[in-house]
Amino acid sequence: MFFIQISRAQQSTAKLISVNFQQATITQFISELESKSSYHFYYDRVQFDSLKITLQVNDKPIETILDLAFKNTDFYYAISQQQIFLTKGRQIKTELATGFLEVAPSEKEVKQTSAVADYTDEKDKKVPEATTENKLYEIGIKTNSIKQGNAILTGYIRDIKSGEAVVGASIFIASSKAGVATDKFGYFTITLPRGRHTLIIRGLGMRDTRRQILLYSDGKLNIEMQEQINSLREVKISADKVANVRSVELGVTRLDIKNIKQIPTAFGEADVLKVVLTLPGVTSVGEATTGFNVRGGSADENLILLDGATIYNPAHFFGFFAAFNPDIVKDIELYKSSIPEKYGGRLSSVLEITNREGNKKIFTGSAGLGLLTSRFNIEGPIIKDKTSFIFGARTTYSDWLLNLLPQAYKNSSASFSDFNLDISHQINDKNNLYLSTYLSNDKFRLNSDTTYSYSNKSVILKWKHNFNSKLYSVISGGMDRYQYDVSSTANPVNGFDLAFHINQTNLKADFNYYLNSKHTINFGLSSILYQNSPGTFEPNGSRSLVLPQVIATEQALESALYLGDKYDVNTNLSISAGIRYNIYNYLGPQTVDQYAPNLPKEAGNVLDSTTYKKGQFININQAPDIRISARYLLNDNLSVKAGYNTLHQYIHLLSNSTSISPTDVYKLSDPNIKPEYGDQVSLGFFQNAKANTIEMSVEGYYKRLRNYLDYKSGAVLLLNQHIERDVINTDGKAYGVEFLVKKTAGKLNGWLSYTYSRTFLKQNDPNAGELINNGNYYPANYDKPHSFNFTGNYKFTHRYSISLDIAYSTGRPITLPIAKYEYAGSERVFYSDRNVYRIPDYFRSDFSINIEGNHRVHQKTHNSWTIGVYNLTGRQNAYSTFFTEQSGVISGYKLSIFATPIPFINYNIRF
Amino acid sequence: MIVFKYLLYIMLMVFMISCKKPYNPPAITAPGSYLVVEGVINAGSDSTVIKLSKTVNLSGAVTTNPVLQASVTVESDQNISFPLTEAYKGNYVSAGLNLDNTRKYRVSIKTSDGKTYLSDFEPVINTPPIDSLNFKVQNSSIQVYVSTHDPGNNIKYYRWDYQEAWQFHAQYQSQYITNGTAIVPRTAAQSIYYCYGRDSSSTILIGSSAKLMKDVIYQNPLTQIASTSEKLELEYGMQVNQYALTGAAYNFWVNLKKNTEQLGSIFDAQPSQINGNIRCVTNPSEPVIGYISISTVGHKTVFISNAQLPQSWKPAYPYTSELDSALYCHYRDCQNDVVDFLIPLGSTEIPVSAITKGPGTIGYLASTQYCTDCTIRGIKTPPAFWK
Repeated sequence: MFFIQISRAQQSTAKLISVNFQQATITQFISELESKSSYHFYYDRVQFDSLKITLQVNDKPIETILDLAFKNTDFYYAISQQQIFLTKGRQIKTELATGFLEVAPSEKEVKQTSAVADYTDEKDKKVPEATTENKLYEIGIKTNSIKQGNAILTGYIRDIKSGEAVVGASIFIASSKAGVATDKFGYFTITLPRGRHTLIIRGLGMRDTRRQILLYSDGKLNIEMQEQINSLREVKISADKVANVRSVELGVTRLDIKNIKQIPTAFGEADVLKVVLTLPGVTSVGEATTGFNVRGGSADENLILLDGATIYNPAHFFGFFAAFNPDIVKDIELYKSSIPEKYGGRLSSVLEITNREGNKKIFTGSAGLGLLTSRFNIEGPIIKDKTSFIFGARTTYSDWLLNLLPQAYKNSSASFSDFNLDISHQINDKNNLYLSTYLSNDKFRLNSDTTYSYSNKSVILKWKHNFNSKLYSVISGGMDRYQYDVSSTANPVNGFDLAFHINQTNLKADFNYYLNSKHTINFGLSSILYQNSPGTFEPNGSRSLVLPQVIATEQALESALYLGDKYDVNTNLSISAGIRYNIYNYLGPQTVDQYAPNLPKEAGNVLDSTTYKKGQFININQAPDIRISARYLLNDNLSVKAGYNTLHQYIHLLSNSTSISPTDVYKLSDPNIKPEYGDQVSLGFFQNAKANTIEMSVEGYYKRLRNYLDYKSGAVLLLNQHIERDVINTDGKAYGVEFLVKKTAGKLNGWLSYTYSRTFLKQNDPNAGELINNGNYYPANYDKPHSFNFTGNYKFTHRYSISLDIAYSTGRPITLPIAKYEYAGSERVFYSDRNVYRIPDYFRSDFSINIEGNHRVHQKTHNSWTIGVYNLTGRQNAYSTFFTEQSGVISGYKLSIFATPIPFINYNIRF
Repeated sequence: MIVFKYLLYIMLMVFMISCKKPYNPPAITAPGSYLVVEGVINAGSDSTVIKLSKTVNLSGAVTTNPVLQASVTVESDQNISFPLTEAYKGNYVSAGLNLDNTRKYRVSIKTSDGKTYLSDFEPVINTPPIDSLNFKVQNSSIQVYVSTHDPGNNIKYYRWDYQEAWQFHAQYQSQYITNGTAIVPRTAAQSIYYCYGRDSSSTILIGSSAKLMKDVIYQNPLTQIASTSEKLELEYGMQVNQYALTGAAYNFWVNLKKNTEQLGSIFDAQPSQINGNIRCVTNPSEPVIGYISISTVGHKTVFISNAQLPQSWKPAYPYTSELDSALYCHYRDCQNDVVDFLIPLGSTEIPVSAITKGPGTIGYLASTQYCTDCTIRGIKTPPAFWK
């Protein structure tokens, strides 16, 4: 308490107050003090109901009055700026204990350390919940006079409560525009002129904080930040506010799970993939589809990474649910344009999903109950402050509910689950280990005797090593697997089991070298070994006559070397330039057909067939990818950015359905299937307004796609020994303009986006055998020119908030029948050129009310409710329209999913 | 709790079956009308029928647009040709061709507007016989299956179509008939109580054993008949024709089925071009619809009598009406209902049975044509395949 007085005294702003109380209650006492000062008091009245205060003082600072009033009681007070917290039995610390800083800088006010210790009598109080904003930290080797020049400051930013890394927090000094952001480990490196500075630290969902430093030479400083959520002040999400304008990247969006949880979804559970669809430039072919399309790319052109592991099928139950547990996910980041050099292998985007680290201090957990799904997570320290784990599980219990359905659905069943287990361990100051594991399972049988199941499995181990203040590395290795299985025994003779799987083994080394204040260099290498089993078809049951059919497994090695430099030319101009050199080898054992050049790839045109031995390189594809982006600050709040990037993709999803279907398989590039190639140029203007609380941007792009795969009419994609004979290479172009306005603070926050975009494909390969739409450009399935989204959340109080979500887009293109005829006893239809018509426009609005339980800190559990309605207006949006014969007559139908308002309720509990 | 359960139930319904509604697209007209060629060149002793028509606009009320006055011939790869003659409404027919199964054949079509169309030369395939045609009783329907195999293990692709017929009766058995002047007893030849309904397959029925070790088709479903169908009222018969196909022909049928019958799920394949084996020689870019294969035809019939089915199954009549009484002298005003309603020829009320008082007939019980005259929806003679 003395130390608070001292720090208050340092500010010497204390106003002197005179009071006279006779047996005053706490209410009288506080209203008197509030009227005579500018302080606000926060306390629980019930705890103070026995307190009666008799006190007379004249012209004393408030600290003295409080000291006298609570003398010999177990009531405590704490002052933080203009707020005073009154507590019973324990004291709120408004500053950070220096002892907690692992890299303890030398401190001027050494005595205060012991003063803090006096009050940390309880176990969990070892971690003071306070800031050290008012202390001066001396960093580096102390010298009598401060030398000229710059020094480098490095360190970690962590959450004070859980010890978890704060990603993307920005650190800057008020006097300069220079600023850096923490990486995914919460690590930062900043170059500053030697001398005294005030560091300003801002993080997404964290309370802004400051540190005063005196920088003598290179050194370290670890900073802890407080979470915003339980703050008693007005909730103010100060995301990396300046990043919009000042970062070099274009087309990058980061969303915190708190934003994601505000968005209503069909079944009430936060969905990290649905929220991606509200961002400009992202579309999907329809409701409840597995894939999403970014800037004209197809669904398999997105690299979906969960803590660095590739997830091939990111959805449960045909796309109704995202396969990620919202209680584990920390944030997501979507790269649409400026894709960092360290990523490659997909043409359109990278969606990075980051899980939380387990709480390093105490055991906590949460559980959520929905109508169809439930989830649970628990986390805590294994070794306090060093090792922690987080475990999450999610499952559906819709299976028993299917029994309520009419007779026709009796034979249906559906179930899914997913599990996450992540462990993070700090070996020492320089070394950290992170282990992430993921498993998802899906199984369903709908009105038939055919059972579908699929599964994702991933494990990844990352080792982060700090060589020195300028260089660190992250080395990771892992395995990812995606598999599916379809089996049936309905007809004993035809009983079958169809299986597919793809395995990838990754090895990656990423280095980050902080050369000086102008250059930050990234370099590294990565290698992925693919083992793809495109399909096995085997008998199921003793009477089955099914001929076992195995498509030869494929192997390939996709490697890359990359080097990138972020160069701050001056305070206004920054350039990020990089190159990624891809080397792709298709490996044996394999038998590859050679086709006559300039002739269609057909059985009759096979010149030769070569068999390769195990591990032999069949062909090598080498190609550089260029990644450039630049930012120029026009003024403090306005910048212009431009970028160009090229990408290669060596793995292809074979799918000729409109949306990804559960039986689609992957194919690796081989001598007959060229890698896909894409490049994109983009330009954008970024402006912040109202003290960085409103972010605005306009981005335009033009993109080219080469060797995108399309299929001949009647192509067989499954169990095809010679898939190259059924595919056609298609070229594409996409362009668009995206407008985004985002409000990040205040009672109302959210974003509004409008996108105009077009995507066209063209198939004019003379060797294809047939031309789609006579070789002219035609709109892709996901070409939706106009798209508008509004996502908003309004907080009435800290406990009640409402969310509204509105989405509108042009209907997607479809191929409609233009004529009919009679054939085989029925009317049948003749189709137009591909994608000439469109389904009706799409519109949907969702609404939800979020109710938080009370915010008292010391209760066993915190709970919250989400109640809402999905598709409020009940609009029957067309998923597809189709024409099919029914008793010999052709009729048109419109298929809608979620065609009525769908109410939902969700209960969450944290402990 | 019940409400909660109900809510879940409703949500699941939405969830599982989504919602399918009629859809009328904006008026679409095709840029042209395209030739449609349907038929199989029967290599055996049965007749060959090739049907020519043209596509019509989707919104048009007309569904058939037969191509008349064309010249259609079957040609061999050794320039032997067999002309087909126009029989009725675009159907071109030839008696049994008895083709040489070592040769290849095609169809040549010259239309009256001067265009020539040729199908590709296709081999003659000998269709193996149908092994069995049977049915299984399910919950509230029967399922008819076909099984076959090729001892040579090389046919692998099959298509079926069928004609079906069923005996049924009208709701009331009419014992009297008008001769225009009086009501007289109906003779056996004039009976309109028992009839045969007829239909033929309207979906594409194909099967493949390409993925099996042996060329065996085991219980490939053909049709499902609901327990309440009139088809099962008395006796049901089905004659199935089996055609062996080449791989290319099978792909054509699979594609046609996908494009016109199997749409509407969440994972539909995109509609694709229907590539047949017929080309317009005069204008190569003109689409032509159809695939001409050459094979012998296997037949088999199955009969299912009502006695083989569960006793509880009762047919639902498509029409129901009460019996009215028509008297010579109506109780109140002695109006002659018999003369007014039953005697005029072409009357829609048909006498069923006599109302007698003592020895005399005072009138008749009568009902509508729908409930007494089976010929409204059937014919009295059984089809040729009927036993």
